[in-house]
Amino acid sequence: MAAAAGRVFRLCRRWGAGPRAQMLRLIYTTTAVQRKNVGASGPEKYTEAFIKKQIEEFNLGKRHLANMMGEDPETFTQEDIDRAIAYLFPSGLFDEQARPMMKHPREIFPEQRKIQWGEDGRPFHFLFYTGKQSYYSLMHETYEKLLNVEKYQDQLIAQDLPLQKEKRNLAGSRWLTKIELEEMLLEKLSDDDYSRFIQLLQKLTDLPCSDIEEKYIQKFSKELPVQMQKVVIEPLQYDEQGVAFSTGEGRRKTARATAVVYDNGTGKMTVNGKDILHYFPVLQDREQLLFPFQFLGRIGKHDAVCTVSGGGRSAQAGAIRLACAKALRSFVTEKEVEFMRQAGLLTVDPRVKERKKPGQEGARRKFTWKKR
Amino acid sequence: MAAPSVAGLGRRLRAWVPRLMQVRWSRYNPSYLEPEVNKELYQKPLEELTEEEREQMELKAVRPIKAAPPTLSSSVFSDPMISKFTNMMMRDGNKVLARSLMTQTLEAIKRKQLEKYHKAPENEKEAIECNPYVIFHQALKNCQPIIGLSNITKGGKTYQVPVPLKDNRKRFLAMKWMITECRENKHRRTLMPEKLSQELLLAFKNEGPVIKRKHALHKMAEANRAYAHFRWQ
Repeated sequence: MAAAAGRVFRLCRRWGAGPRAQMLRLIYTTTAVQRKNVGASGPEKYTEAFIKKQIEEFNLGKRHLANMMGEDPETFTQEDIDRAIAYLFPSGLFDEQARPMMKHPREIFPEQRKIQWGEDGRPFHFLFYTGKQSYYSLMHETYEKLLNVEKYQDQLIAQDLPLQKEKRNLAGSRWLTKIELEEMLLEKLSDDDYSRFIQLLQKLTDLPCSDIEEKYIQKFSKELPVQMQKVVIEPLQYDEQGVAFSTGEGRRKTARATAVVYDNGTGKMTVNGKDILHYFPVLQDREQLLFPFQFLGRIGKHDAVCTVSGGGRSAQAGAIRLACAKALRSFVTEKEVEFMRQAGLLTVDPRVKERKKPGQEGARRKFTWKKR
Repeated sequence: MAAPSVAGLGRRLRAWVPRLMQVRWSRYNPSYLEPEVNKELYQKPLEELTEEEREQMELKAVRPIKAAPPTLSSSVFSDPMISKFTNMMMRDGNKVLARSLMTQTLEAIKRKQLEKYHKAPENEKEAIECNPYVIFHQALKNCQPIIGLSNITKGGKTYQVPVPLKDNRKRFLAMKWMITECRENKHRRTLMPEKLSQELLLAFKNEGPVIKRKHALHKMAEANRAYAHFRWQ
């Protein structure tokens, strides 16, 4: 396919800039840097006709597959395709990318830029010779919008009308990342370019009357999924004496801990059968154990019985801290749970020991450099 | 450098891995915010908050928060400056030893001040500061340089150009000088807490070798005033 495209390209070259109504042989170059599969083999050249053929084949194949699976071809979604392929071609390969897959050609063959100049060699876009035509034209467009908004503001001021100051919700959305912007423009950007564009967008949104350009701004912002996957707080359980208790699990590095926190207690804490004063001789660890209780102001009110295994001294203390904090959630109002979360008591610490790399002495330390 | 992989825990801990490997990176996704441990801030009612604080609160409600490190706690005894100083004093990861040295230092300061307090006449008693934390903070504040020197190469020669310092850098330099001073310029038999408490008390009164070092730096900066414009090459 690539050879065919190459041959055709050479043919075109030999005939020179002959009178031709349409540039049929549009040569593409890839821009995707991150995709290991495509980038590694060098710039691939796919013609538009080829992509069209692939899309037709895909749609036909989708209908055949639906027939094979006994489902309705009209309502056969991508998930159904994936499931069908996994069923028909089971693969035990480790790498997901190496397994057989059937996806829309647009996802497999990355978006590429068409040729930027006409038959006579004259470029279509007026900013072609800047080298980054899409980026600069985007900057021009955005600045035009900015001037628009300022003009509108001036008009409002001239008519003595109040400027609307509706605060845009920052917390719920984010700007496109550099990679997403590169994919949108099909051009490589430098970090500096990207930050300049974001600054300009920020300037536009900070103006009071930026609501008129809301649609344009929305093209470059993404909704952040509201991260609160509502964690279900378990209700209190009661043991034989009628004392309320709650359990929690915690982990830190390789340590795993479970804590059972009882109500109406005197503040005694036991770890693996021993008192915390004996189990944790270091003050820092005991501080960590008491941290959740001290934060909620419930120091002498609860008893805790904990079990812990694995890890070292500090990791075990951290694991028990998390377990106690999780157990305390059942005793406390939702607002206080939110405060605990913002104090960092309910997050699992993801830091673990970094692996040693070959050619180095440790994770970061390199071997002693010898001049000869 | 190869992408980081979780040692021994397999795929369970799906912490964030950046697309392109940075040299300095952390296991947290960049959208995670720092935890706020101070209890009082949470007890403030909604009306008393300023605009900025309200925005911060809204942001915190949506974003995930990092886990509090083991050195941080909401107790009245945890002080960020003291923790930082302890970490800088620590050698080979021996936090237990560093912390005990720190507590012994604070105890030594308190003892010395109490001795002075009991010996002083009535009218001077109020002037003597007995709180070791106050003395520690004030001493380090007195040791902080205002201006520093940085090496700027121009025309093949390297010049020492006076340059303003950031707050973090000032604090770091004050603590570093204090620790090096106590490690090097002492008699073999004196212990660290004793020497440190001595130096802190001197610095509290704006005397002592660390303050001298600060003044020396200021003098050098003043002497190199002529090169100040090299900062903006």
